[in-house]
Amino acid sequence: MSEQILHKVTIDNITVEVPAGTTILNAARQIGGDVTPPAMCYYSKLEGSGGKCRTCLVEVSKGSEKDPRPMPKLVASCRTTVMDGMEVKNITSPKVIDARAGVVEFLLINHPLDCPVCDQAGECHLQDLGYEHGKEGTRYEFKRRTFHKVDLGDYIQLHMTRCIMCFRCVFAANQLTDKREHGILDRGDHAQIATFIEKNLKNDFIGNVIDVCPVGALTDKTFRFKNRVWFTKPVDAHRNCNNPKCCGEVQLWMRGDEVFRVTARKDEWGEVKTASNGNTGWICNTCRFETKKASDWTIEGPSNINRHSVISQGHYVGVTKPTETFSEVMKGRDPKLLMDIHDESEVNKPNIDLSLLDRPAHSTDFNK
Amino acid sequence: MSKKLLLEKAHVENIRLYDVYRREGGYKSVEKALKTMNPDSIVEEVKKSGLRGRGGAGFPAGMKWSFIAKPEGMPRHLVVNADESEPGTFKDRYLMEFIPHLLIEGMIVSSFALGSNDSYIYIRGEYAWIVDILEQAIDEAKANGWLGKNILGTGFDCNIHVQRGAGAYICGEETALIESLEGKRGNPRIKPPFPAVQGLWKRPTVVNNVETIAAVGPIINMGGDEYAKIGVGKSTGTKLISACGNINKPGVYEIDMTITVEEFIYSDEWCGGIKNGKKLKACIPGGSSVPILPANLLLKTAKGEPRYMNYESLSDGGFATGSMMGSGGFIVLDEDQCIVKNTYTLARFYRHESCGQCSPCREGTGWMEKILWKIESGKGSSSDIDLLWDIQRKIEGNTICPLGDAAAWPVAAAIRHFRDEFEWHVANPQESQIRNFGLAHYADEIHVPVIA
Repeated sequence: MSEQILHKVTIDNITVEVPAGTTILNAARQIGGDVTPPAMCYYSKLEGSGGKCRTCLVEVSKGSEKDPRPMPKLVASCRTTVMDGMEVKNITSPKVIDARAGVVEFLLINHPLDCPVCDQAGECHLQDLGYEHGKEGTRYEFKRRTFHKVDLGDYIQLHMTRCIMCFRCVFAANQLTDKREHGILDRGDHAQIATFIEKNLKNDFIGNVIDVCPVGALTDKTFRFKNRVWFTKPVDAHRNCNNPKCCGEVQLWMRGDEVFRVTARKDEWGEVKTASNGNTGWICNTCRFETKKASDWTIEGPSNINRHSVISQGHYVGVTKPTETFSEVMKGRDPKLLMDIHDESEVNKPNIDLSLLDRPAHSTDFNK
Repeated sequence: MSKKLLLEKAHVENIRLYDVYRREGGYKSVEKALKTMNPDSIVEEVKKSGLRGRGGAGFPAGMKWSFIAKPEGMPRHLVVNADESEPGTFKDRYLMEFIPHLLIEGMIVSSFALGSNDSYIYIRGEYAWIVDILEQAIDEAKANGWLGKNILGTGFDCNIHVQRGAGAYICGEETALIESLEGKRGNPRIKPPFPAVQGLWKRPTVVNNVETIAAVGPIINMGGDEYAKIGVGKSTGTKLISACGNINKPGVYEIDMTITVEEFIYSDEWCGGIKNGKKLKACIPGGSSVPILPANLLLKTAKGEPRYMNYESLSDGGFATGSMMGSGGFIVLDEDQCIVKNTYTLARFYRHESCGQCSPCREGTGWMEKILWKIESGKGSSSDIDLLWDIQRKIEGNTICPLGDAAAWPVAAAIRHFRDEFEWHVANPQESQIRNFGLAHYADEIHVPVIA
């Protein structure tokens, strides 16, 4: 292999070196934290995804070392590759913050906001996005667009009203299954994900569309309304799956001994992790929907959830202990004990031995 | 009388047919180009002519051609964009319907210049009858040896295919057009890669408007330098304008870009003035997506100079006080027209035609339409006008393709120039339902500050 060409890119004044051909978004993910633009439609494991939701817009204030002109418009960071010496502004650009708030508003005007009854709540990217980048109120005062719920067979429920048209499920079906059976019907704000004349989605790997869906539009029918995700405990587990394409490495969402849900393992960006065999860890329908006994699985241990959502509540990952300020307050003195109240105070009458009383102690006992 | 190049022979009876067209000097440019020139010199000639894309953006055609990638062993394609769906634009229809051979002639020369052996005409589905006209013209050209294998014994093969669209405005965007041509859903692609590198079937592709390609014939015939002498500045050559709205003589006119807007509207040679003796209120000078201008800013620029019918002059003053040449769909509105209603109609169109791929355009166009309908039907409040402004601002520039901009600009310009009319609608909800705001001050002289 020839030597990789590294490009230096500065995102919000943090410089990182990435191989040529990396997108701005992936470069920002290497830095991590607030510098990373949110992405609703981009999915690194799905070829061709991205560019549609416009939440990852960033300002390129310097094109490259060779051509330092800034780009005239905000660009979708998920589909723009870095150039050497490029300077990108994400959260340091008021233009980006403003445009992103606009996109979030657009995404939410037709969203039902039915989080209290939505199975995705707690691990929903739109919730996170709205919380981090949105405004508290809406200026939309018209009737929201609604669709009928569609049954896509025994396993998957389509709730189109919640969909944000990220096209991820279409890419997933294209790239994971033999034949895609659902797609986009219509266009504009009445476009919808649908099967042509309601069909069941039956392919072995079609369950993965649930994992790639950033919102609650595609949900697992074997889990619907059974529990809230933050009450269940995620554990990593595996089994020997007969399906050669399935890696058998999953995450079980358990409560006690009961397995409520099986999903693929996800990384900190909410994307399916790479499995131990090097492939992307997509799982088959059998693992996902039909293997729901704890005894079917070899449990490896609790999952490391490092997402910022409510699922990680109680997991205390990355918690730092408050520092001791005692010596600072005491101007360098470090006494073992400040006051021995028993020595100083006679209020409690330490000479009275309460154990000798054959009844509960009473104030009169101390007045002696 | 302004010089005509494209429509020079349009009055000749049966010019649609090959024999008549050939008798009138047709296909001379093919002979000249294929026998005496090489592809590079044709591109050079088109560059010299200063021909700008006639589809709306006005990008220099020769420049676009020189960007085409030429990888070894990879076929290249020329695609003619005949998906003329911009409201108010119908110049390509006229051209293809009456002088189809002019397009075929231009296509053969352009295909030779670009090295395209299979060229396509992507025509909008609604132009069903023109497909027959074009295919007849292609057959005639083929029968006479202008198409097919080994044209004029030069060893150059070229075939032209006509493909009908399914009636989507978005397929006029070049990458959506390519997707549609490939048989997919007409969603614009994310650029880069540009079509000149990866277009149709991932091959280098040039997409040009019908009028642009038709102009290649005359350019080769008269030479690029000669062509560049017509017109002013960077607006060279002639441009077809499809004039419509409240004018006495709507139709397709060929202008050489040296006349003023005032002359174009009021002269009997062109539009012949406003219908029924009414007054001019506003005009959308380049197809529905360019900013609308009130009469005073249309006839004179903000500096008080007369405005001409060319690329530079129409866009003088930027979007604050100017507009764009666009595709040449010249829509004239008289004093009886309601700007709010007009803007609503356009917003409804863009809402319907948005492809639904990226969020700002998909959701924003629908939102704008709803607010405009609310104002138009007398239920609006003054905060709606500001909201509308904010929405268009958040759509513009944040979308994958220019449809978002095209949807945002008319709304922005209407509010910018006709805000009092919007406010009148809000303040007089009942009155606004029974009468129009009228001309108000939109045709008044602009005050030009004297700068010493």
